[in-house]
Amino acid sequence: MRRNDDLELNAYVDGELTAEEQAEILTAMQRNPELAKEACELNNLKNQLKLAYENPPGISSSSATPNKTPWYAIAASLVMLAMGLAGGFWMGTPANHSDRFVMLDADGRGQAPSTIDSPETRIVFHLTSDPEDVAAEELLDDIEDMLSSYKKDGNPLRVEIVSHGKGLSFMRERLSHHKARIHELATTYKNLTFVACKNTIDRLQVEQGVEIKIVPEAEVIDSGVSHVVKRQKEGWSYIRV
Amino acid sequence: MKRFTTLVTALLMGFGLWSTQAFALNGYAKQKVVYHVNYDNPKKQAGALRNIQNHINAVGAENLDLKVVMHGHGLSLLLEPEALVRVPKFKKANATEKMTAKIDNLKGQGVDFSVCANTVRGRKVNVDTDLYNVEKGDIVPSGVAELAHLQSQGYVYIKP
Repeated sequence: MRRNDDLELNAYVDGELTAEEQAEILTAMQRNPELAKEACELNNLKNQLKLAYENPPGISSSSATPNKTPWYAIAASLVMLAMGLAGGFWMGTPANHSDRFVMLDADGRGQAPSTIDSPETRIVFHLTSDPEDVAAEELLDDIEDMLSSYKKDGNPLRVEIVSHGKGLSFMRERLSHHKARIHELATTYKNLTFVACKNTIDRLQVEQGVEIKIVPEAEVIDSGVSHVVKRQKEGWSYIRV
Repeated sequence: MKRFTTLVTALLMGFGLWSTQAFALNGYAKQKVVYHVNYDNPKKQAGALRNIQNHINAVGAENLDLKVVMHGHGLSLLLEPEALVRVPKFKKANATEKMTAKIDNLKGQGVDFSVCANTVRGRKVNVDTDLYNVEKGDIVPSGVAELAHLQSQGYVYIKP
């Protein structure tokens, strides 16, 4: 690719282009999947950098812009947060899941730093291969075994399956062989979450020219890669399948 | 007397902890590592065993606590070729003489090979007749649970 295009693509990913320039790049990407892939990778990189430098030393956001939030709003939000955390902690698994609301870390527990003696086991499965090549059904059996035995023994457990690249078909509305199973598990276990990578979805949409639909049980996040990096930084165990 | 024993045990444990932190002469600290095998491609499996040997060569067997966890298709690494007809859920049986020689060599250097009981049960494997040299102590209840557990104990996860 020409140097100029390279710069423009970077500017696009950083959202620094005018509407017309953006439209130009979008049409170019539709014609050229390679370009789309490159933009995708750039975006990935950007996300990972952002993740690695979440809190850059020295500059705090509040010093850059004067903080106008009144103290009582902060206090109220802290109280709400504490209530939410406590609620989430004591609630365990509610009996009725019919209105399952897909939100990762709704109770905020997934983000608490984990240590070796943390009572909660947290595992993120990074599904990057074709699900049928890695015996996904057996994997789900294993995961279900864990979920049910932890539940029976009253031990806290969080499991998340992140599908990405070839693994996305596991969560695709039209291609997945595991839709019924995903639904069943998601409704039975609130502590099991499904995540699909938006970068992969966008790339496939351009490459295949079809709309990619994801099962309703899954949450779509920007980048599968940065999500699993984030999980590991939060202390989750990582298993790639 | 009991108190004295407790004290000695505590001191020994402290020393044990301290010594695991110590650095070896080659500059590497003690490492705890778990390798994950869930695929049945014999080339990839042989590659993983080679990775492990290179890992030992670099760090030194005395500085390494290294485990291999196999589940699903990965159990084919220890599946005897003649057993393949008895276990239709497997497509490959890779425990050839060449492969088992490598496995024995690694075991001799302290590498543990752990087998997932869920896979054994689910794929109707007879541990005594179908698998190469698997003892009772090599079987873990669940491969994935073991991988998660080991990581929570400070093992580094590697999937070649």
